[in-house]
Amino acid sequence: MTGIVQLQNVTKTIKGKTIIDSLSFEVKKGEVFGFLGPNGAGKTTTIRMMVGLIGMTSGDIKIGGHSIQSNFEQAVRQVGAIVENPEMYKFLTGYENLIHFARLSNQVNKEKIDEVVKLVNLSDRIHDKVKNYSLGMRQRLGVAQALLHEPEVLILDEPTNGLDPAGIREMRDHLKKLTREKGLAVIVSSHLLSEMEMMCDRIAILQKGKLVDVQTIQDFKTGVDQEIEFDVVPIEKALAIFQTMSILARRGETGITCSIKKVEIPSVVKRLTSENVEIFGIKEVTKSLEERFLEITEEREVSLHV
Amino acid sequence: MFNLLQNEWMKIFKRPGTFVMMGILLVTIVLMGGIIKYENQDVKANPDWQQEIQTIVAEQKQSLAQMENAAQGQRKYLEKSIAINEYRLDHNLAPNGEYAIWSFVQDASSLIQLAGLFTIIVAAGIVASEFNWGTIKLLLIRPTSRAKILLAKYTTVISFSLLMLTLLFVFSSLVGWIAFGMPDKATPYLNYFDGKVTEESMIFHLIKFYGLNSISMIMLSTMAFMISAVFRNSSLAIGLSIFLMFTGAQFTNLIAMKFEWAKYILFANTDLMQYFEGMPLVEGMTLSFSVLMLVAYFVLFHSLAFFVFKKRDVAA
Repeated sequence: MTGIVQLQNVTKTIKGKTIIDSLSFEVKKGEVFGFLGPNGAGKTTTIRMMVGLIGMTSGDIKIGGHSIQSNFEQAVRQVGAIVENPEMYKFLTGYENLIHFARLSNQVNKEKIDEVVKLVNLSDRIHDKVKNYSLGMRQRLGVAQALLHEPEVLILDEPTNGLDPAGIREMRDHLKKLTREKGLAVIVSSHLLSEMEMMCDRIAILQKGKLVDVQTIQDFKTGVDQEIEFDVVPIEKALAIFQTMSILARRGETGITCSIKKVEIPSVVKRLTSENVEIFGIKEVTKSLEERFLEITEEREVSLHV
Repeated sequence: MFNLLQNEWMKIFKRPGTFVMMGILLVTIVLMGGIIKYENQDVKANPDWQQEIQTIVAEQKQSLAQMENAAQGQRKYLEKSIAINEYRLDHNLAPNGEYAIWSFVQDASSLIQLAGLFTIIVAAGIVASEFNWGTIKLLLIRPTSRAKILLAKYTTVISFSLLMLTLLFVFSSLVGWIAFGMPDKATPYLNYFDGKVTEESMIFHLIKFYGLNSISMIMLSTMAFMISAVFRNSSLAIGLSIFLMFTGAQFTNLIAMKFEWAKYILFANTDLMQYFEGMPLVEGMTLSFSVLMLVAYFVLFHSLAFFVFKKRDVAA
């Protein structure tokens, strides 16, 4: 099955500077697709191109087979989006805001509005003015307006920006529910890895306008090496022993870090105790996704410069 | 399209500012009525008006004869005044007959400028505000073309100006009727055009007056709308449009005294009244010339607005 969203060699040049450099990937139905990259990598620009807010210099984006450039209305009909903050008309009530956006897309009736309001848990406050809403409520109203016209694709730019932990969790559960129950394709962007890890099925890593890689979240994580840290005294002696055992070890924060397999630990411990090295602790150190991410982007940067 | 218009109206009428503007307009009309009523108390129609007018006409004829070399404008003004006064003598029409409803509506029509001001404020904000609020991002990602959205917004501006004018006309008629009552017999309006004096019904004259006056209001609102769509800046749009509204005519007059190309300036053409009563700003200008110029400016403003709005990358 081909993806519901297809990017084909999308390039954006502004004043001679290439902001987005021939980006190509697909997003399938029923998956949460993450857009990962440092600030200024072009995440928001790409999202804006997907919804037709800004044009592209070359390439094309197709949503459900319709080009966003030549068939804007057909393409965008299938998209619900929040671009950056969900900015609403503050002088209108939440409900009036939804009516406003419902009128812009055809075939949205009152029942649908009520259904969406219930879905995002805003029923109690929907007739209050938006200026009295908390940030979390505005986010939820934003999701509501994006879901009004039953889109196939939901695009959320930094959906958890400014939310408290409870709000983030709530948002995450919503998104999971939507993809599982309605088979939506959800595209989210973020620079927070922990976020992405919990939310996404696949992630695309973007750097300096180029696609570094598209991976499933499992693949991304298994690329992470495990290290074992030994808290020992004296360190110098232990290091020498590691060397004789031909294990690559280095001085870590609290002791010695080395990359060995789990099964090798007992033999190392035996050797250390027999040599009268005192062991205070042994622990596994998993490189965080953050480090992994930095690793990937740095490798890339090096190869770019070479 | 109807949906889009509904949206725009909702956004205008859910903001208190709109009602403040309407309130100001209504209060100003009432104040104006009050002041005129108060001042008019002791003015009685002069029974010897015929004699008074005869002296005026004689004086004016004398000065007309003396100023062979004076500017065209001044001579024309005197000629008009003499013609109208002579017409009054011939047909026994007292100049300041009783002050009644239509006289007040005529006086209150100077408030068209105020209505224009408010329309400019709405026109200047209608596109720029969406950018300020950030809501433009949600507005433009709907299955509705940008051109349609802009058209809906412009239509709303025009209907808002009509609303303001209707409000002004109806309310000033109401105030005029309450304060001054209906006239005993309808006084006609004397129109001088092309050397001839004709009688016009007051209502017809007022409607014509309103219609012609609102042209400059519509042109300026269109300009404010264009600036708003092109520069996304409502302060710039309001500031520039209001500045031109108050000074444009004077500047054009100044330029017109020296240069003939002044006739291509927008403000030389917005006052179409000059072709019905009085004389054109620059010799040789005709009604069709002005209409053509107005259409040209109108098309220019809209092409700019639509072109830029359609092409624009929404990045903010």
